[in-house]
Amino acid sequence: MTDNALLVRARAASVLEAGKVLSASTLADRAHWLSQGASSLARQADGRCDALSEATRLSIPMVEWAARTTLETITENAMLGLAQDARTSTDRALDPIGLLSVVLAGNVFTASVRGIVVPLLFGVPVLVKASSREALFPAMLRDALRSADSRLGAAIDVVAFQGGDIEAEAALVELAEAVSVYGSNETLEAISARLESTPLIAHGHGVSVAYCGTEALGDAQLGDTISKLSLDICAYDQRGCLSPQLVYVEETPDRSSMDFAERLAKDGLELLSRTLPRGPLPVSAGAAQAQWRGIAEVEGTLVRGDTYAVSVREAQPIRWSPAYRNVTVAPVPGLDEALQAMQAIGSSLKCVGADSASIPKVEAQLASSPTLSATTCAIGTMQTPSLDAPADGHPIWHGLFRT
Amino acid sequence: MTTRTELKARIEAQIAGFEAGQQVDAASRDELIEDLAAWQASRIPEYGRLQRHGAWPPALPTDVFRFRRIAAHPEADDLRVFRSSGTTSSERSVHVYRDLGLYDFAARVAARHMLFPDVDRMRLVMLAPHEDEARDSSLEYMLARFAEWFGTECTWVWRDGALDIELLMEQLRNAEASGDPVAVLGTSFAFVHAEDGLGDRRFELPPGSRVMQTGGYKGRSREVDREVLLEAIQGRYGVAAQRIINEFGATELSSQMYDTTLREHIDGSAGLRRLWVPPWVRATPVDPDTLRPVEGESVGILRIDDTANLDSVCCIQTTDLARRLDGGIVVLGRAPGATPRGCSLAADQALGPP
Repeated sequence: MTDNALLVRARAASVLEAGKVLSASTLADRAHWLSQGASSLARQADGRCDALSEATRLSIPMVEWAARTTLETITENAMLGLAQDARTSTDRALDPIGLLSVVLAGNVFTASVRGIVVPLLFGVPVLVKASSREALFPAMLRDALRSADSRLGAAIDVVAFQGGDIEAEAALVELAEAVSVYGSNETLEAISARLESTPLIAHGHGVSVAYCGTEALGDAQLGDTISKLSLDICAYDQRGCLSPQLVYVEETPDRSSMDFAERLAKDGLELLSRTLPRGPLPVSAGAAQAQWRGIAEVEGTLVRGDTYAVSVREAQPIRWSPAYRNVTVAPVPGLDEALQAMQAIGSSLKCVGADSASIPKVEAQLASSPTLSATTCAIGTMQTPSLDAPADGHPIWHGLFRT
Repeated sequence: MTTRTELKARIEAQIAGFEAGQQVDAASRDELIEDLAAWQASRIPEYGRLQRHGAWPPALPTDVFRFRRIAAHPEADDLRVFRSSGTTSSERSVHVYRDLGLYDFAARVAARHMLFPDVDRMRLVMLAPHEDEARDSSLEYMLARFAEWFGTECTWVWRDGALDIELLMEQLRNAEASGDPVAVLGTSFAFVHAEDGLGDRRFELPPGSRVMQTGGYKGRSREVDREVLLEAIQGRYGVAAQRIINEFGATELSSQMYDTTLREHIDGSAGLRRLWVPPWVRATPVDPDTLRPVEGESVGILRIDDTANLDSVCCIQTTDLARRLDGGIVVLGRAPGATPRGCSLAADQALGPP
């Protein structure tokens, strides 16, 4: 579907108007409606997995997993807790903006959920520009919210048009008090150029990594570590900014990085290739994959299966994987060296997943880093952030209130 | 035990056979590729580590040429080093030669067959730097050999690091006045810059004239769609579309592929524009996961097994997307996100920032 500027402008006006009605409702009401909408969407998604798989180019089991793990975070309690956190974060009364325009990316289809639910929770109406590659899920979310409550449903709408449609982009942002953009740095720049004083909430290009310290590598813990890490890698076929591209592994006399890589491949990625199969590989990504795997093989460090591969190589310089379940294992003497290597990623580093024993140390070091603003989370949860997880170094409600 | 001398003789025999008008048997080419790959794997450790996928020898990714010296001979025996264009050393592929005999032989026979099948020699205008200004460019090396093999006279309109628009106009006007056909050869970038520099001036090059363009854009300057550039060149130089052909080459390869249109036009046949693959080369779109040939005309990533790559690696995995068509290959461009490479950048760098 492609919407023209006239339609985009009309929907923006309609959503803006509906926002005034929505803001008269209570936060508790909105939390209730949103949780009902999420439950309804979870049921619908189950029945439309084929279409979602086709639209997202993820396998059906992966679509099911992604929808379930995302939508189950949208509970009334979680939303009320989030609202409480937002209230206590400032001395002043929260003053929601009149309209948020959201530009979605196509790599992680469920990213629309937090991007839409959180503003609506605070009474902020939302106009969503869906990815031209994947407009189905945002439209399903809109319809589910409409079925939960008409006031809520009227305050959200979805448009779709090709990037670069100058008139439609202008119509998308002209009534917005803030614009939230998920996408490449090129997309951010293009939208930013259309904005004058309207704040931009940027969710640009990013990558994530994982760290496994010695406590996670003992015989008793290794299976669990591998299992969690594999899920983080395989979720969304490693296409998201929270997907670990690189795993720093503390090398010990008992466990070489090559041994770790082989276990990760055979006990983790191979298993998940059966339960959560990878989707089709776009030929363009495949070209990069062939080069990346070939170089790793030339270096003598590749462990591969049909739809995944693990390369072992030194922590620096970083050679980014082409995603789609191709991951690098980098041996390091310890956390200090891993963090030193991460410096090269700078502000593009979004998240560091770590084993539970290492999390406090990783958090402390990241907090004191002048160059890194990544969040920390436990391995196994990198792709399932809670509703209140920060985004790009900010609270999830960042930009939704007038200052 | 196969020796280099034996392998070289077999490669030369294939090219010479084709030059003599003999049918080159695909099975004997494939057997040569097998033997060549086995010999190279035993001498080049990086290649020897690659695993075979399917029936064919493994193909070495082009990116490896950016990180490792790929050669079956010691560095002391390097006769010539070609580098792809790029701004840093890690972006530049390096292909070393101990012997340019096969390169020359393959380049001459292919160009004679596809670019100059109807004339012995003709006037050449090169929209590229002279070999002396770009000693490490395989394209400039090839064009310099073309000047020797196919040129009555040759003018290089890239001089002292700049496109000499006045000289280009003079050459084109001279060709118009003399009525002698001319071949204008250069990079796609160079043709774009000529478009910008020539303004409203149009030319009607004499019948028999032709244009060869090569290389991509690598995201460093304005890009012009292939069809748009083709149309622009037609209008600018007054040369029919069939006589404007693309050459496909790469630093990592020793052989070139050419659009079929000129040859088919001269032969009186007409087919869709596609690349002709020399019979000593095997060009195959492969599935990126399995690295095995794709079915029919499906799009895959282009693998090129170039037997003229004797002293490096014959089987090369590129990042170009391609499909088969009527016995030839259609290259659809580089995969998005793939490492930029190619021959055009040297010319663009010479021009300075766009």
